[in-house]
Amino acid sequence: MSTMRITFQEELDSVEAAIQEEGDYVLRSLRSVLNALAQNDLELADEVIAFDDEIDRHYFEIESRIQLLLARQTPVAMDLRLVLAMLHTNLHLERMGDYCVTIAKLLKLAGHIDPDAAMLDAFEEMGSRAEEMIRVALDSFDRRDVDGATSLVDLDELIDRANRRAVEHVLELGGDPEYREWGLRMIIVSRCLERIGDHAVDIGEQTAYLVTGEFREFTDASHQDAGR
Amino acid sequence: MAPTTDTIVPVAPIEVAQREQSRPAAQREVVFDVRDLSVFYGKSPAVKGVNLEIYRTMVTALIGPSGCGKSTFIRCLNRMNDLIAGARVDGKVLYHGQDLYGQGVDPVSVRRWIGMVFQKPNPFPKSIYDNVAWGPRVLGMRKGLDDRVQRALEQAALWDEVKNRLKRSALALSGGQQQRLCIARALAVEPDVVLLDEPASALDPIATSAIEDLIHDLKRDYTIVIVTHNMQQAARVADMTAFFSLDVHEDGSRNGILVEYDETQKIFTQPTDSRTEGYVTGRFG
Amino acid sequence: MSRAARERYSLRPTAQLRRRKLVNHLMEAIGTIAALAAVAVLGLVVWAVAKRGAGALNRDFFTELPPTFGETGGGIANSIAGSIVIVLVATAMALPIGVLVAIYLNELAAPRIRRSIGLVLDVLNGLPSIVIGIFVFGLLVIGHGQAAWKASFALAIIMLPLVARATQEVLALVPDALREGSLALGVSRWRTTLGVVVPTALGGIFTGATLAVARAAGETAPLLFVSSVTTSQVSWDPKQALQSIPLTIFEFLESPNPEDHEKAWAAALVLMTFVLVLSLLSKAFLARSRRKLAR
Repeated sequence: MSTMRITFQEELDSVEAAIQEEGDYVLRSLRSVLNALAQNDLELADEVIAFDDEIDRHYFEIESRIQLLLARQTPVAMDLRLVLAMLHTNLHLERMGDYCVTIAKLLKLAGHIDPDAAMLDAFEEMGSRAEEMIRVALDSFDRRDVDGATSLVDLDELIDRANRRAVEHVLELGGDPEYREWGLRMIIVSRCLERIGDHAVDIGEQTAYLVTGEFREFTDASHQDAGR
Repeated sequence: MAPTTDTIVPVAPIEVAQREQSRPAAQREVVFDVRDLSVFYGKSPAVKGVNLEIYRTMVTALIGPSGCGKSTFIRCLNRMNDLIAGARVDGKVLYHGQDLYGQGVDPVSVRRWIGMVFQKPNPFPKSIYDNVAWGPRVLGMRKGLDDRVQRALEQAALWDEVKNRLKRSALALSGGQQQRLCIARALAVEPDVVLLDEPASALDPIATSAIEDLIHDLKRDYTIVIVTHNMQQAARVADMTAFFSLDVHEDGSRNGILVEYDETQKIFTQPTDSRTEGYVTGRFG
Repeated sequence: MSRAARERYSLRPTAQLRRRKLVNHLMEAIGTIAALAAVAVLGLVVWAVAKRGAGALNRDFFTELPPTFGETGGGIANSIAGSIVIVLVATAMALPIGVLVAIYLNELAAPRIRRSIGLVLDVLNGLPSIVIGIFVFGLLVIGHGQAAWKASFALAIIMLPLVARATQEVLALVPDALREGSLALGVSRWRTTLGVVVPTALGGIFTGATLAVARAAGETAPLLFVSSVTTSQVSWDPKQALQSIPLTIFEFLESPNPEDHEKAWAAALVLMTFVLVLSLLSKAFLARSRRKLAR
């Protein structure tokens, strides 16, 4: 009876489309802030901060619509899992947006200092990895692809390693107080990129939950034991 | 290590843009203006002091426990209560500004514009075609009767199922089909308002779902008021929801009252009255 | 499964149960005998009339006039024609009025009026037909002469309560939901009654009408006073006094001629067959109307 509950189905599809659109906005934010980092462009950083309002607007709208879906349509089974998965994914995307804002703000605080080339390369690499993860996560969600979602763990591993290398590099910089301040800030930037990757993995877990019905953490890089 | 800066920029919650049906109160056209309506059967009041407005091309649901006057109230809107001996109506019901119970108002013409579908399907023991054509014939709409019947059956989402057996008896249809036939019958006279008194309560879930989808289509052209004891149905289908409950007095007498009337999304996410909250959460019947 | 459970919930009959079963069988037997007795009575009547009357049944019986005094042969053609006319005219009088009375009572009257008029109808139903005969005699025949339509009038008085009551009962069986459904369309009360309620009840109305006709066809007393001095020609004119079958049976039996007695039995057979067929017909109508009202 696929023609039943047309209103409900249309609304589900519409909210899911809004989530994908929110994901596009987050990707734009991330790419912009990475470019700002690479070019030391403080004006671009301001734009990223302002742009987060758009992401937040999406976030609140999706929250409201999901609340209404739950209150009015009493979804069960797959519908319920989809609604809950979208609720969580919405939050993860919004947090990703916030991390982009954090990076932009840190850039503004440290922008007067000449950046270290190696760090910038590392950031670009981590950033690209994060972008890829976001795309994979959203695409797997769209296609209900559990394998695609699970592959995010390996990608995340790469970001985690790059993060550790960044920390080590900053520790090596040593001496100069100005450089130390810059270094501290850049560690946080690195951490933000790593957290963005984590949130992408979380979205992948939501895809797995949606398809299998099980709440499960993917085996991630910090646990060396095999998954349950 | 957590970020040290404040990461979320405070943003005021944006009013959610719903489907085009939901408009701010000032823009809605009022079809029924009910003022301090009370209905008495003999001496005892069935429902007292109802104040609300029904808006055009919207679905308004009346929910609440049994015996609190929802059916009594809806039957006031097309003067079907006149048929019950001893029924008396106090207060005012304005239909497009006209007093429904005013002097000189003929109940028959009231029901011409305000149709009703009942809880138990009640098709006439005639053919499917004659069931739908009966009203228009009697009311003098004889031209293009075939088209009229087809249009009504299409609007009731029944045409495809019966187009090849219009001459068969209506009683041979299933319950859900009979109810859709009754809806087609009501639509055939082209009313302004359609009142539905628990239209799906005698039907199975699939037939119920069909009726709900149908209501969603119908509200484009008609103003719909629906009584339902199934509040999830109201949540799914209605734009506005009115919650009726029982008012019990010290002397033991009781009558129905309107407790809260608001947009459905408000009633089901953040009702104002605690009695409403108790009812929709299922904690108090 | 356990033995204790088997003993506690034993399925074997107790003494009390065995007694009850005996009583059951006894009551069934008594009921069956009573039913058989009723059937036997009807069977006896039919058999006796058929046996005695079948002999005189031939084509002439239906087409010939009664023989003049002393002659043999002949038939009851004039009686048949007369009965047909009298009953048809009576039905034309009683049926519309009876149905309209029932519609008024059931659809429009206040409960008190309904009860009073209902009582009147019941009393009318119980009036002896000879009283009705005398009444019509006094009202219409004295000083004006006999006529078939006056006999029809008397029969119509007998038929009226039958038609009205039967129609009223079947109208009451029509569910209110159907009336509500029509009224809710903005259709007036009267159109609702005519277009929805009456058509639904039609089968039952025919049933009542058929039974009334069967009753009227067999009434003798009013005909004695109102349409007895008749010609022996076949006539279809209601303004004349016409012969009728019940009266013919009566007159033939009074005659000294044994051949006439045989004809009386034959006429009785014709009348009985007519009533039996009508009764079966009415049952068929009833079944049809039940099907229409059944959900």
